[in-house]
Amino acid sequence: MKIAIIGSGIVGLSAAYNLANSAEVIVFERRYPLYGSSGRNSGGITPMLGSKELIELAKKSIRIYDSVQGEVNFNFLLRKDGYLKVAKNDADLDELEKEYHLQKSMGVKVREVDPYEIKNMVQGFNPKSVEGGFFGEGGVIFPWPVIWGYEKGCKERGVEIKPMTQVSEVVVEGGEVKGLKANGEFYKADFVVNAAGAWSNEISKLAGVELNNTIIKEEICVLESLKPFIDPYILNVSNGVYLSQSARGEVVGGILGKEVSNPETSSSLDFLIKYAKRAVEMIPSLKGLSVLRQWAGVYDSGKDGLPVIGETNVKGFIQANGLGKYGMTIGPAAGELVAEVILKGKTYDKFSPERF
Amino acid sequence: MRLEDHPIVEFKRGKEVTIYFNGKPIKAYEGETVASALYAAGVRTFSRSFRFHRPRGFFCAIGKCSSCLMEVDGIPNIRVCKVYVKDGMQVRTQNSFPNADNDLLGVLDSIIDRFYPHGSHYKKFNRPRILREFITKRVRGFAGTGNPPKKVFEGEASFEEIETDLAVVGGGPAGMSAAIFAAKAGARVILMDENPFLGGQLVKQTHRFFGSGRHRAGTRGIRIATILADEIKELKNIDVRFETKVFGIYDGIVGAVEKEKKLLRIKPKKIVVATGAYERTLIFENNDLPGVYGAGGVQTLMNVYGIKPGNKGLIVGSGNVGLILTYQLMQAGVKVAAIVEAMPRIGGYFVHAAKVRRLGVPIYTSYTIQRAIGKKKVEAAEIVKLDENWCPVKGSEKRIECDFICIAIGLSPTHELLYQAGCEMKFVPELGGLVPVRNKYGETTVEGVYVAGDVAGIEEATAAMMEGRIAGIDAAIKIGYGGDEALKIREEVVRDLKEFREGPFGARIVAGLQKVTMEEGGA
Ligand SMILES: Cc1cc2nc3c(=O)[nH]c(=O)nc-3n(C[C@H](O)[C@H](O)[C@H](O)COP(=O)(O)OP(=O)(O)OC[C@H]3O[C@@H](n4cnc5c(N)ncnc54)[C@H](O)[C@@H]3O)c2cc1C
Ligand SMILES: Cc1cc2nc3c(=O)[nH]c(=O)nc-3n(C[C@H](O)[C@H](O)[C@H](O)COP(=O)(O)OP(=O)(O)OC[C@H]3O[C@@H](n4cnc5c(N)ncnc54)[C@H](O)[C@@H]3O)c2cc1C
Ligand code: FES
Repeated sequence: MKIAIIGSGIVGLSAAYNLANSAEVIVFERRYPLYGSSGRNSGGITPMLGSKELIELAKKSIRIYDSVQGEVNFNFLLRKDGYLKVAKNDADLDELEKEYHLQKSMGVKVREVDPYEIKNMVQGFNPKSVEGGFFGEGGVIFPWPVIWGYEKGCKERGVEIKPMTQVSEVVVEGGEVKGLKANGEFYKADFVVNAAGAWSNEISKLAGVELNNTIIKEEICVLESLKPFIDPYILNVSNGVYLSQSARGEVVGGILGKEVSNPETSSSLDFLIKYAKRAVEMIPSLKGLSVLRQWAGVYDSGKDGLPVIGETNVKGFIQANGLGKYGMTIGPAAGELVAEVILKGKTYDKFSPERF
Repeated sequence: MRLEDHPIVEFKRGKEVTIYFNGKPIKAYEGETVASALYAAGVRTFSRSFRFHRPRGFFCAIGKCSSCLMEVDGIPNIRVCKVYVKDGMQVRTQNSFPNADNDLLGVLDSIIDRFYPHGSHYKKFNRPRILREFITKRVRGFAGTGNPPKKVFEGEASFEEIETDLAVVGGGPAGMSAAIFAAKAGARVILMDENPFLGGQLVKQTHRFFGSGRHRAGTRGIRIATILADEIKELKNIDVRFETKVFGIYDGIVGAVEKEKKLLRIKPKKIVVATGAYERTLIFENNDLPGVYGAGGVQTLMNVYGIKPGNKGLIVGSGNVGLILTYQLMQAGVKVAAIVEAMPRIGGYFVHAAKVRRLGVPIYTSYTIQRAIGKKKVEAAEIVKLDENWCPVKGSEKRIECDFICIAIGLSPTHELLYQAGCEMKFVPELGGLVPVRNKYGETTVEGVYVAGDVAGIEEATAAMMEGRIAGIDAAIKIGYGGDEALKIREEVVRDLKEFREGPFGARIVAGLQKVTMEEGGA
């Protein structure tokens, strides 16, 4: 069996990793393996999510992260110092509380914290900037070694990864996938997996399959490196600002993204201005520090906020996209589901491409 | 170590103030950078490296290399070569214990690499999971250079939006000329430079300029800077912003920070990028030891702030910069032990070389530096002969006694802003590295973004001024200023520049330019 995977982000690589022992797998990557969102994200990981399906995927993914690091002998620098969601107003706090009950019921370790507890948790936190929040299990992972590690594991299992190889055609005959064309060459395949992240809509079109994922652009930056002083990953659900401190000591932070019509990754000055204001409001001692780098990434999300995983009406054309703003959190488990779809013919109603 | 008298430059020092270095009072003068004040007081180690805690001194003295990061008034990671002293300022070393000069963690330097070579934090100790999680926590313990901010930054912070015709980034000869010519044609101009003065590299050039007579040859560089700056003062439609660093060009919007406290959001009709160049470094053992400096760093210290870099230097590179620096050092009463040059012949002009030889400085051609010797700072250097294949000849090592080493092996264009703005770039060795594709007026592939001066290709000040004029006036014309007169001036300067490059030293530049100049019209 031959499987062609389009995209070497977290989804494409974890699918390849899980398929490698049962099939001949080639991963096609238009640029290089860190080019997509999987190389540009802030690495926040938590099962403190808003729906049963996402929570399950997240819990499973954290277990997978734990075991894959040993399997491929690569350290993803996963630091489980907790995840903090804060809100600036009662309405948002109520929303978090609803999620909290769901999370609790599914065995997620999480508790409510008041602004003063947060202040004790995070050096320099301004308790007046928030109404309250929830603190629970999770933390920060460094996305680069995740991708490098999966790449290493894939190669060790015989997967071929082709960087700088853009897929330009998905070959379909009689409602069935025959292969694809990349860099002008034809590759025969029994299955083609669309794991192209923000470019998934375009790839889907190549196969003649409709896909209407929302494309989201998100901007982010890092400050010059400091000794560790922020332990948890902090997300302010009211204004979208989030930040954490990387293994290198850089404060990494951004603002949750906005819908755009095309995947494009330019950075803006307006983002820096907004981020500076919102981050400093939350942690005033960040004022006066220098920004080292800024960049942007694009990812896609299923219209209902859930991923799109499953076979389409073109036989052998598999969707594996739409992971949205928690793609790093649920990517490893999503890749396992893709393998189940291909190897065991499984379907998942909640994620089905046919559900819209 | 402050120079009191100098044959050419007169140092007007500001008011005496006191700053504190790790709590110890140090005398300084207003107008000096923190780095130069510390240097004058004998401080050589400014920081410790991120991983192995190796001592680091300053290198570039112009805010480009990050080896001088310190904590200033409680705020971490400040480039002290770009911050000016204020009375009572508290300056501290960071990433070291108890301080950068005597860093106990420095032992890491010798042992850590044996057990934990670079990159191994991904590849080692991954099984079992408990060990991995323990190591991950330890890795984090060593991370980070600055201390977490101890207090909230107290400086004021403000914001200004500016709409104007032309934004010029960089106030060297190219940027100043662009501003002058655009303003004379009638455009409103904002001219920004990260320094508290205009002139760029020129302010360090205490020597008489080489070049053709028509183009101010024979005049000292610092003098040319003053002439242009005076002209700018007369032009009321040029708004000069000092200590203003441009950090990004976002789809025509220019972002800058003025005096560390004001954010500027500038919306110009056209932009001229004239950011100049920075110094290349060289790879050899211990090249990060305090006392290994860029030639420009030493020039800045000596000719701008009037501080002696040391007692005896070794110069690496015999191009014009290395040669000129040698006699500038001797002028200031600093000895030069030798000049080493990897090529079989001297790189710079014959007149400069002859002058240096007359002063008794040996020039070793076909030699390179092999290592810097010293524990916390340079105590000597080891040089070695190179054979025809550029390989060190065993047994030819020589020890040169010196207390500082200047790297003068050339400049690279400060191209980052152009790259970030989305300009198409090409690597052209003749022009010194990565340079933008442009048309004959300097406009890049991003419409309305021009380049001029060393950032467009390493050349020299005369060409930089002419390129600046062309870019400035073309931008003004495209906005709608100047009329026929401006068109005439533009074509005149284009012709002048072409003539200027017809000399023997222009051939290489012309060859380089052919690779990056678009046909008529361009963008
Ligand atoms: C700034 C930012 C912060 C984020 N923070 C978090 C966070 O804290 N936690 C979290 O869980 N998630 C976060 N995310 C979301 C997460 O990064 C994404 O959901 C996830 O990386 C998506 O993975 P992917 O494999 O689907 O897509 P990508 O990683 O985008 O991979 C898709 C790949 O497909 C390739 N491709 C596209 N077209 C073609 C073609 N024609 N041929 C070949 N290859 C092609 C692309 O080059 C790309 O490499 C963040 C995202 C961004 C942008
Ligand atoms: C030792 C030495 C001797 C020389 N001798 C001669 C000579 O004899 N004759 C001759 O013709 N030439 C000589 N030159 C070369 C000449 O000095 C340069 O070619 C010329 O200064 C280049 O001008 P410029 O305007 O392009 O750049 P620069 O003079 O380098 O000016 C660039 C300016 O831009 C500023 N800047 C950079 N980035 C930013 C930013 N992001 N925001 C704000 N400001 C920014 C810099 O601080 C700087 O002030 C010599 C150079 C050296 C180093
Ligand atoms: S940045 Fe200060 S010495 Fe280079």
